[in-house]
Amino acid sequence: MSLLEIKNLSVRFGDASAVPVVDGLDLTVDRGQVLAIVGESGSGKSVTMMALMGLVEAPGIVSADALRFDGHDMLQLSKRQRRQVVGKDLAMIFQDPMTALNPSYTVGFQIEEVLRAHLGLSGRAARARALELLQKVEIPAAASRLDAYPHQLSGGMSQRVAIAMAIAAEPKLLIADEPTTALDVTIQAQIMELLLALQKDQDMGLILITHDLAVVAETAQRVCVMYAGQAVEVGHVPQLFDAPAHPYSEALLAAIPEHSEGAERLSTLPGIVPGRYDRPQGCLLSPRCPYVQENCRVQRPALDPKAQSLARCFYPRNQEVA
Amino acid sequence: MSVVLTARELTRHYDVSQGVFKPHATVRALNGVSFELEAGKTLAVVGESGCGKSTLARQLTLIEEPSSGSLKIAGQEVAGATKEQRKQLRRDVQMVFQSPYASLNPRQKIGDQLGEPLLINTSLSKAERREKVQAMMQQVGLRPEHYQRYPHMFSGGQRQRIALARAMMLQPKVLVADEPTSALDVSIQAQVLNLFMDLQQQYQTAYVFISHNLAVVRHVADDVLVMYLGRPAEMGPKEDLYHNPLHPYTQALLSATPTIKPNPDKPRIKIAGELPNPLNPPSGCAFHKRCPYATEKCVTDVPAFRPVGTRQVACHYAEQFLK
Repeated sequence: MSLLEIKNLSVRFGDASAVPVVDGLDLTVDRGQVLAIVGESGSGKSVTMMALMGLVEAPGIVSADALRFDGHDMLQLSKRQRRQVVGKDLAMIFQDPMTALNPSYTVGFQIEEVLRAHLGLSGRAARARALELLQKVEIPAAASRLDAYPHQLSGGMSQRVAIAMAIAAEPKLLIADEPTTALDVTIQAQIMELLLALQKDQDMGLILITHDLAVVAETAQRVCVMYAGQAVEVGHVPQLFDAPAHPYSEALLAAIPEHSEGAERLSTLPGIVPGRYDRPQGCLLSPRCPYVQENCRVQRPALDPKAQSLARCFYPRNQEVA
Repeated sequence: MSVVLTARELTRHYDVSQGVFKPHATVRALNGVSFELEAGKTLAVVGESGCGKSTLARQLTLIEEPSSGSLKIAGQEVAGATKEQRKQLRRDVQMVFQSPYASLNPRQKIGDQLGEPLLINTSLSKAERREKVQAMMQQVGLRPEHYQRYPHMFSGGQRQRIALARAMMLQPKVLVADEPTSALDVSIQAQVLNLFMDLQQQYQTAYVFISHNLAVVRHVADDVLVMYLGRPAEMGPKEDLYHNPLHPYTQALLSATPTIKPNPDKPRIKIAGELPNPLNPPSGCAFHKRCPYATEKCVTDVPAFRPVGTRQVACHYAEQFLK
């Protein structure tokens, strides 16, 4: 059984008739795996993870056939039980390190808090472990940083502290939500390297949420491309980049400047993601898709489990190659 | 081609208070930047946060006075310009900002925001202004009915189109764009970048394109200026700089940029540490503490920004990297 198993997850805000923000999502992650979720803003990447951690609040409605993590049914857990799982076996790193840390407490205190809550450590033992963690995330002069407040740290340092907090209780699954978007490219390279080293070292599962396809190409083993709340393609990393099956994945890759090197214009997908009032009846991409056919406008395609690379499309691309 | 923007040893220092009884410290945010920009060309400025990119933008757009150095826009020296001349200079240089959410007035209709530059700087009648605004709206891909709408009714990409349209209303000679696509998704980014290129072709505007995204820069730029801690590190034609970076910092930046076609055999040049404190910059070459090739000389001597091949580089050992 997988470490994380999500089956037919839907999240709506409002009543049951509201347009789903996440629509019928299936995902699995095992220990030692790196799964990337990519998509544009509003595609439902972050809400999926919020739902998993029980952070979707009213009027949000989460429903799923299965939402299992490490043997727990995350939908059935009481608040008290969930608190024992989230932050311990299931940890998360957020996009903006400056707001993820509490400005009123020292870095050391915030790391020790995790150790107190989940491992029962206190006093000197907690302090020693906190120091060890700061060293593990390669913070220079770690001993003196324990007493630093978040405002005294740079963005890259704060993100390292956030990572130290997340791995403090040796989680089985780490969710990193755009962990390097707010950072400079040299610091981004350092942080990604650190995350992958920790992931291998502790044999964690890692879910990397990002909109940067280049980061995915360099780090992940599997990738799930989301569009307007649906997973449109799930595949393995070099294959999906070489031969994307869904027209949206293809367009997303083509829009990267690196892809049209030397060309005058970048290739683009016309239009924007459909909003809640203009969702098409058929395939969600049909108004923007360059290969659209008659039945795409009426019927909604499903993810076909038989295809090699799973794509939610009636006419998948690059099939002869795959 | 005519040169529309000339910067010579442009420098900007800020005084910062360190506390009531301590002397003021000086941050050298911009230190001796020189370049020339021709009409219809794009100069990209890249570097990490805190390297002086945005300070440069503030000098170029006359938002601030440089501490020293000279700046010429369309042949007109900025220092010592009269009030009238300054007004004209401000027409010639326009700016597009990073966040389209913060740069548009939420209480003003799009049509009015686009018409405001014309209202202030020209004597066109209301009907003429409206006509010009609608022509520009069409050009940047907005529909006529958007004229009456407010900024909150638009998506990020559309807002950046509006910001660009507003900057182009007076057909400036120079457009300074500070990270114009970093708040946008990649498919929207492609649309907006294409629009930038189309408008440049039509109006022969010179662009100063500030970005930290080297992949974007590679697409839009003619020349690239790499900055580190307020100083120019390397400047030259795009293709040369990308194929054979001479400054170790440029090499590290290019190496750290993730790519969709990763090459596992190519070793990453790692640079340790972070940007040093600009209040207390390192001696000698500002990059020496993070540079894998640093020697004694780099610790003591500040490298001159000197021509090497087709480029200018501020490194003592630039020739060694020249292929």
